[in-house]
Amino acid sequence: MNDRFASQSFLGPESDAIFADVTVGIVGLSGGGSHIVQQLAHVGVGRYVVVDYDRAEARNLNRLVGGTVEDVAASRLKTEIAERVIRNVNPEAEVIARPVRWQEAMPELRGCDVLFGCVDRFNERAQLERVARRFLIPYIDLGMDIHPAASGFSLSGQVVLSSPGGPCLWCLGILTEGRLAEEAKKYGRAGSRPQVIWPNGVLASLGIGLFVQLPCPWHGAAQLTACCEFDGDHHRVETSRMEYAEQLRCRHFPADEVGDQFFARRE
Amino acid sequence: MSIVFRARSDLLARVRADLHRPHPFAAERVGFVVCRAGRLARGGLVIVAADYEPVADEDYLDNPKVGATMGPAAIRKALQRAYNGGAADLAMFHVHMHAHRGMPGFSAVDHRESRRFVPDFFNIAPHVPHGALVLSRDRAFGLCWTGPDAAPVEIDRFASVGAPLLFWRRR
Repeated sequence: MNDRFASQSFLGPESDAIFADVTVGIVGLSGGGSHIVQQLAHVGVGRYVVVDYDRAEARNLNRLVGGTVEDVAASRLKTEIAERVIRNVNPEAEVIARPVRWQEAMPELRGCDVLFGCVDRFNERAQLERVARRFLIPYIDLGMDIHPAASGFSLSGQVVLSSPGGPCLWCLGILTEGRLAEEAKKYGRAGSRPQVIWPNGVLASLGIGLFVQLPCPWHGAAQLTACCEFDGDHHRVETSRMEYAEQLRCRHFPADEVGDQFFARRE
Repeated sequence: MSIVFRARSDLLARVRADLHRPHPFAAERVGFVVCRAGRLARGGLVIVAADYEPVADEDYLDNPKVGATMGPAAIRKALQRAYNGGAADLAMFHVHMHAHRGMPGFSAVDHRESRRFVPDFFNIAPHVPHGALVLSRDRAFGLCWTGPDAAPVEIDRFASVGAPLLFWRRR
């Protein structure tokens, strides 16, 4: 084992080779995704597909890990910032940076072993999970929300590990027709959503833990599905939603609905 | 061209359990992993396992010279399954098992036999790749045909999607 990873040797004698060979896709490189990228680099992940069409702006600096005043002045792509963060820790990493809408990076994302979804909109989260299910890719979804409450504001979020065969975001009640309809009504006038760094850090760390245990289950048996709900007002993480979801048989993604339904050998 | 093969670990366990069963006269069992495909960057392909189609006991031929010989009914049923794929063709991957741990490989007979029948699937399902797999108790190796006249290409990377998540590269 490489000395650099001696402190995480409890993950197994081959863990550094496993992480060096795994390909992780991260869609959305702002508040949640920038934390994910940083931690994956420290864990020793060797291959990345980073996707975000956006550029650094001053209003991002309150939560964009690795972002600098210079990046804002240069209007630097968030993919460039992510790649720099990775290479500062792991110069040998293979980084495929796609500064496009993620739907345009499908060939790269299909090749990933694990996908992180760090996007704001429920509709996009639904689409990302569908892609992950069709290509048998474990999908880790991060969602954070700050909304007005009677006594001020309320801060909450969740991390879901959605794996083929297990409960999905629909089973868990994270995605609902009502939420999608509500979002569609607001489309184009949502404005800037409140975001801060610390809940994103909590959610990203939970997501990284779920990712690491997939190939290297240090506690014995890997979890294929998880739902961690963060109550940012009381600084608590709950997993009670899983208790009922574990009994469910996912009816949203049948086992044989996989691959590209429009695939043709020659295009 | 890079080719990735992914299957759920519970499906692979089902395949292994079926192939492990003794047959009345054949020395080993065979079957077909029913797949669909997707395109990767730089011309690569991802093959995604959807289901498993075992070969029925009565569809083997008694041939003591090799481990298992499929009769015409076995091939016909597999071709029929490929044909009934719906909107997109199904990719059919012949599968057998070597009962050891670690990376398996094809024997000369495996190579010869798969070259004989795999290209036939392009007559029925011409728009998807087809191939042949050999499983060990914990790994897999495979060849993929991208067209009836194309030389088979070794599958570069396998993933068994379950708990734990496993992936490995050829050799």
